[in-house]
Amino acid sequence: MENISQASVLSRLPILIFVAWRNIWRNPVRSILTISALASGLVMVILYASLLEGMTRQMVRFATEISTSHIQVHRQAYIDDQDIYATMPWSYLEKIEQDFPGIKITPRLYAAGLASSKNTSTGVLIKAVNPKRETAVTKMLEHVRHGKLDLGIADTTENGFPRYNLVIGAQLAKNMNVEPGDELVLVTQAADGSIGNALYRVAAVLKPLEPNFDRMGVLMSIEAYQQLMYLENGFHELAIKVDDMTQLESIQAAIVEKLNKLNSIQALDKLGGKPVVRNWRQLNPAVADLLELSKAFVFIIGFIIISLASLGMLNTMLMAVYERTHEFGILLAIGMKRRWLLLMVLFESFFLSLVSAIVGSVIGLIINNYFEEHGIDFSQSMPDGYDWAGMIFEPVMKGYLEPVDLGYACLMMMVVTMLASLIPSWQTIRLKPAEVMR
Amino acid sequence: MALLTLQGISKRYRQGELEVNALADINLTVEEGEFAALVGPSGSGKTTLLNIIGGLDSPTQGTTQLNGTDITTLKEAQLSDFRLFQLGFVFQSYNLVPVLSALENVELVMVLQGRHKNECHERAEHYLELVGLKDVVHRRPTALSGGQQQRVAVARALAAGPRLVLADEPTANLDSENATALLDIMHTLSHEEKTTFIFSTHDPRVMDRAERIITLQDGKIVSDERHHHEHKV
Repeated sequence: MENISQASVLSRLPILIFVAWRNIWRNPVRSILTISALASGLVMVILYASLLEGMTRQMVRFATEISTSHIQVHRQAYIDDQDIYATMPWSYLEKIEQDFPGIKITPRLYAAGLASSKNTSTGVLIKAVNPKRETAVTKMLEHVRHGKLDLGIADTTENGFPRYNLVIGAQLAKNMNVEPGDELVLVTQAADGSIGNALYRVAAVLKPLEPNFDRMGVLMSIEAYQQLMYLENGFHELAIKVDDMTQLESIQAAIVEKLNKLNSIQALDKLGGKPVVRNWRQLNPAVADLLELSKAFVFIIGFIIISLASLGMLNTMLMAVYERTHEFGILLAIGMKRRWLLLMVLFESFFLSLVSAIVGSVIGLIINNYFEEHGIDFSQSMPDGYDWAGMIFEPVMKGYLEPVDLGYACLMMMVVTMLASLIPSWQTIRLKPAEVMR
Repeated sequence: MALLTLQGISKRYRQGELEVNALADINLTVEEGEFAALVGPSGSGKTTLLNIIGGLDSPTQGTTQLNGTDITTLKEAQLSDFRLFQLGFVFQSYNLVPVLSALENVELVMVLQGRHKNECHERAEHYLELVGLKDVVHRRPTALSGGQQQRVAVARALAAGPRLVLADEPTANLDSENATALLDIMHTLSHEEKTTFIFSTHDPRVMDRAERIITLQDGKIVSDERHHHEHKV
């Protein structure tokens, strides 16, 4: 004994790990059932996280790619009151474009009006875009449901004025019973105070993109808008697409600086207020909040699922400890220290959760791969997608799994199951060998 | 010098309303190399006494000294080390870790002692050969007979190099042939290895082999007789 080193835990780890590994296969059916329960829980968490992340990404994509883009610039009065006189001069557009080669920009103009078809009239929101620039910044114009996208001149009136094409929202088309090719009259108060009105031809109907535009949106070219509104000296909104999203905030700050400089050179009128630069999170705080919430949802739901699955583990380990009290007594009698025994049982739980994590991850990744490729298709029942939290989602729900989310899910499962296994492990510490061997 | 000295050992415990005197004023000295049997009817206190000697239970009164160390004063961790390095145990049944082979079971105590892997392996093979299990070293307990399992337990107890081996009814679950074989092995190894054996039994076959028979009744030593046997080699 004198020549033998005193017992330390570290040097005994290999034998404890070895025995623990053998022990989990002592009752293979029970271990496989436990692993199945834990792995199934992990698969559910992975798929839940993946689908929620997929929805979140779709939400961000809709929030940025479809209409909002990454950054928008308005004047304060336009933000506050939709003041149609609160425009920025066209020279601003050119100068920003010159100074920021890593971005794409498009101007927009807005107005409220009344649209009349053969059968009905309704209030509409007029949105004017430059189709060429708009296509580079957003994908709004790609989502045509019926007709052909054309915001150019449809024909000429008897007086020789051009008659422009319009594109309208799907719900508006339905409400007004209008189809591509039909005529639509728009009436509005022009910028000079006169009543602006004109006859247009509906060229296309857009798919539902955002609920407001879907119900009352009328899209026209900037030339058509200027002819209707007599508002030629500027634009209301500048939508900016950033090539590198990681640079979003620095580009936003640089644009603010640039606008201040432009304002000092070519001063804007005071009534319209200063230009305000906002990124998509500031423009869609509800979406930004939902993004944060979705992470919390994944954690909470994941925790509940894993905790329920861990009850299986708790049961298995309690049974295992109960069945083996005599054996633990023998091990204590032959000189195994209680802390080694505790470690051995903890290693058994660790191996069960590790194998479950590996199995769950592999199965989860395979199913997730399918969801990423094909998604869950609701297009039969909801061809136009579904509206949730004020946003319209595509009818195909696709998954997206961040590797870090997979790591977190596995880590959470292992931590929760190890915590659950503390109860049975602790029981081994309290065993009295003389009693359990009786 | 005596290897084991018990002085005034008493053990009382409560069983419901009753207070049971399991052991009463036990005084005993065991010399190094003895092959001693604790005999007596069921409930006479044999197992309790073995548990106290092995540090698995503590006496209500008295001291137990092994090789000069009073084990009744040792703390839990010290007791574990004491059992690991000084004692070998053979129990009545289910002695072995079922997920380990015979060889791994014998190696286990030595690995826990911190011995080198090769040494553990060589000693385990050696002792398994001594107990006649050379050909079944890789079998797990479920693939061994009761007699073979007890022989593995004896090999495990001895391979770790203890001063004292405690065996609680080692032949209780064995048939005559296996019981005799096991006792022959224990007896032989006791002499060859100069290891002290104390075992409890009420099996006459075991008593016949013992060199010293300590008889317990109602928790007291009622006789202590020495016999001379020629051991088989």
